[in-house]
Amino acid sequence: MNLNDNPIFLTQKRLVHRGGVLAAILIAALVGLSLLSGLVAYLADPMDFPGFKSAQEAGKMFYGWTIGVEILVLIVGGFSRISRALADERKAGLWDSNRLTPLKPSQLVIGYWLGSPLREFYMAVVLAGIGLIIVLLGRLPVTLWLGTQILIFSTTLFFGLLAVIVGLVLQRPQGGIIFLVVFIFSQFPSFGTPKFIVTNFLLPIYGIANLFRDAGDSDNNNSISAWNGLPEIFGLPIYPILLSLALQVIIGVFLWNATVRKTTSPFQPPMLRWEAVAIFGILLLVQHGLIWGLWHGRFPEVQSWAGRPRFYQSDPLLSMIHCGTMLLAIIILAAASPQPETVRVKALRLGIKNLGAIFSGSAVSLAVVLAAVAAGILLLQCALSFGNSWKIYLIAVGNLLAFFLIFSLLLEFCRLRFRRRALGFVALWLFVLCILPFILAGVFSNEAFAKLSLLAPGAVVLAGSNTADLKFLAECTFAHLGIALLLFFAWQRQWKLLLAPQSAPVAK
Amino acid sequence: MPNPLLAIEHLRVDFPEVIAVNDLSLTVEAGDVCGLIGPNGAGKTTTMRAVSGLQECTRGSVRVCGHELAQEPDELKRRLGFMPDFCPTYDQLTASEFLDHFARAYNVPSRAKRIEECLELTWLTEKTNSLCEELSRGMKQRLVLAKTLLPDPQVLLLDEPASGLDPLGRMELRKILLQLRDAGKAVLISSHILTELSGFCNSAAIMERGKLVTFGTISELGRKMNRRKMSLKWRADGDKALEILKSANVKNLEVAGNGAMFDFDGETNELDELLKTLVTQGVRISEWRGAGDDLEQIFLQSGAKELM
Repeated sequence: MNLNDNPIFLTQKRLVHRGGVLAAILIAALVGLSLLSGLVAYLADPMDFPGFKSAQEAGKMFYGWTIGVEILVLIVGGFSRISRALADERKAGLWDSNRLTPLKPSQLVIGYWLGSPLREFYMAVVLAGIGLIIVLLGRLPVTLWLGTQILIFSTTLFFGLLAVIVGLVLQRPQGGIIFLVVFIFSQFPSFGTPKFIVTNFLLPIYGIANLFRDAGDSDNNNSISAWNGLPEIFGLPIYPILLSLALQVIIGVFLWNATVRKTTSPFQPPMLRWEAVAIFGILLLVQHGLIWGLWHGRFPEVQSWAGRPRFYQSDPLLSMIHCGTMLLAIIILAAASPQPETVRVKALRLGIKNLGAIFSGSAVSLAVVLAAVAAGILLLQCALSFGNSWKIYLIAVGNLLAFFLIFSLLLEFCRLRFRRRALGFVALWLFVLCILPFILAGVFSNEAFAKLSLLAPGAVVLAGSNTADLKFLAECTFAHLGIALLLFFAWQRQWKLLLAPQSAPVAK
Repeated sequence: MPNPLLAIEHLRVDFPEVIAVNDLSLTVEAGDVCGLIGPNGAGKTTTMRAVSGLQECTRGSVRVCGHELAQEPDELKRRLGFMPDFCPTYDQLTASEFLDHFARAYNVPSRAKRIEECLELTWLTEKTNSLCEELSRGMKQRLVLAKTLLPDPQVLLLDEPASGLDPLGRMELRKILLQLRDAGKAVLISSHILTELSGFCNSAAIMERGKLVTFGTISELGRKMNRRKMSLKWRADGDKALEILKSANVKNLEVAGNGAMFDFDGETNELDELLKTLVTQGVRISEWRGAGDDLEQIFLQSGAKELM
């Protein structure tokens, strides 16, 4: 179907044009031409710019700024535009009006996905065109321009799909941009180890940095080594641009399915359970594949550290990955967790009365499955040294399980008990359980009190293999599993109350 | 037996705290305009949203032109027009662009001509090129009605369509509804203002607290009523008229000047007999009518008390 035959796209285009695109295009042109003029000035009189050693170096700097602006406009601006358009139209009732037409859900999604950020697309085309001139004038290879533009475009589409989901799920238009800012800030810790963290390949950063290095840098040897070289998946080197594109396409397919499903029926959760498990499994497998070369399945025994920066010679990297695993699990569990009211209506419709059926459809059982997947993949790191590492492995897995269970039980308990105020209470309880022990440990700064931080669920798994007191870690893990058990009883009680026949009185 | 264009059976919709619609069954046949009446919060809008597929049903079935909502939602979309109780419009589009959007979405043949027809039908021709944000609430309401009529649906769900209209607009809306009725459409129209619906509804469903209190054609419901409030005025012989009324089966007789209001318990033919008696006894009657129109009577008799 021609895009211009898609009424949603056409309407979004009309709305964008009516809002004015000329000013935006002129701003993009002004920014791009300013950068281009900088390069032209350098080429006219290189002696005036002693900071640059060659035209290539100057070209890279000016092109880098150009694509920086392009990324900001396309990814951040586009994301914000799509999520806001959808949230606004949902609020106004236009989304429902469009859903009632015979348009296919995929047509609706495409219309918003490609139509809402049209102004940003126009700006990006201008910037990309000026970027090409900068690349040519800077005597840089055209493959640098092509590679970076492909990465930026694919990332824009990927984040565009994410924006559609955010717009369909969140109530407030500004929720989308808050989500994006939190996501980008959560990446900062990984910039110290960019080659080993999977999310850096979902973003275009590593791929672009690598393309810049390949473009021939006179100062290559002094560049930050962490950002150099091909990443390896289970020892196999792979071009970062290919890894980024592959990851974005694979996860993008799941996001596409989620947007179409949510458009077809807004009563469904954005992620099916098998999709949640698949996304979690794929990201975790690629993640552990990326760090395979550090231990070669013999964690915590050091295999070869030749050429590795000192940072990797300990466990913090694995701890960071566990932290990422827990954050990913939080997002997935929250997205795949059904709303209690939807479950109650389904239970009423199908005549389900036992808690077993409720449990199997809840985030709690999904938490168990995710923990099992994490355990299976984590085993890869210590499969060849299991005799030495089984204790720390079991503690780590037990702690991941405890954290996933505590989060999912808390989430569903709070949704059942506090309904609309659930999110605030989940945040409060997570603060008490996960952050407060660290604060107390910080306030009472001696070793005994420092152990308080291990009371935070998930913290044990972050402690790595260097913590000698495995007995204490095991006790902490059992304590966390005990908390999960108590939460389970509370969760069970709330479900029983909700499913009780008298729980929904007739309207008064 | 006629096949209804809209058939709702045992519909139930649950909200977190309440059962918004509980075991609702009703049918609307071709050429019927059914008034869905009830106080605020009775479940009228929820019923309409559930019928259109925007609200998840807990139980029950909805059939439009024989197509089941749960099984063939796409078939329903082509045959059903839903006008919500507010006016969702794209403020930055013109009226004709707004209709063009939906005409394309519904794949309406001869788009431009049909848009023109709908604008004319809703008296918006002169606003064709006005931005939606420049239209008054009533105009937006008419524009959304035009959008609903665009694909020429067989079944129309109109949720409080007259709420933003001025008196002239309401009269014109009534004309459109009569046209739709004559064209053989099935129309389910909700309101909590009874006077909006009187005159063109040939059936009514009264809801209260999510439940259907009563449903049927106006004449059926009229027959079901066992008490009516009547108004009588006379030119002469008022004493004789009062004497006859007191001897008949009337209650709450209130006399005011040359007239009286009273409640009548009994069948329609008994009421006819009373009128005949008054006339044959020589009372010169200048007015004889039900106090309030049929729908008001039906509503008052239905037991639904909280109309606001």
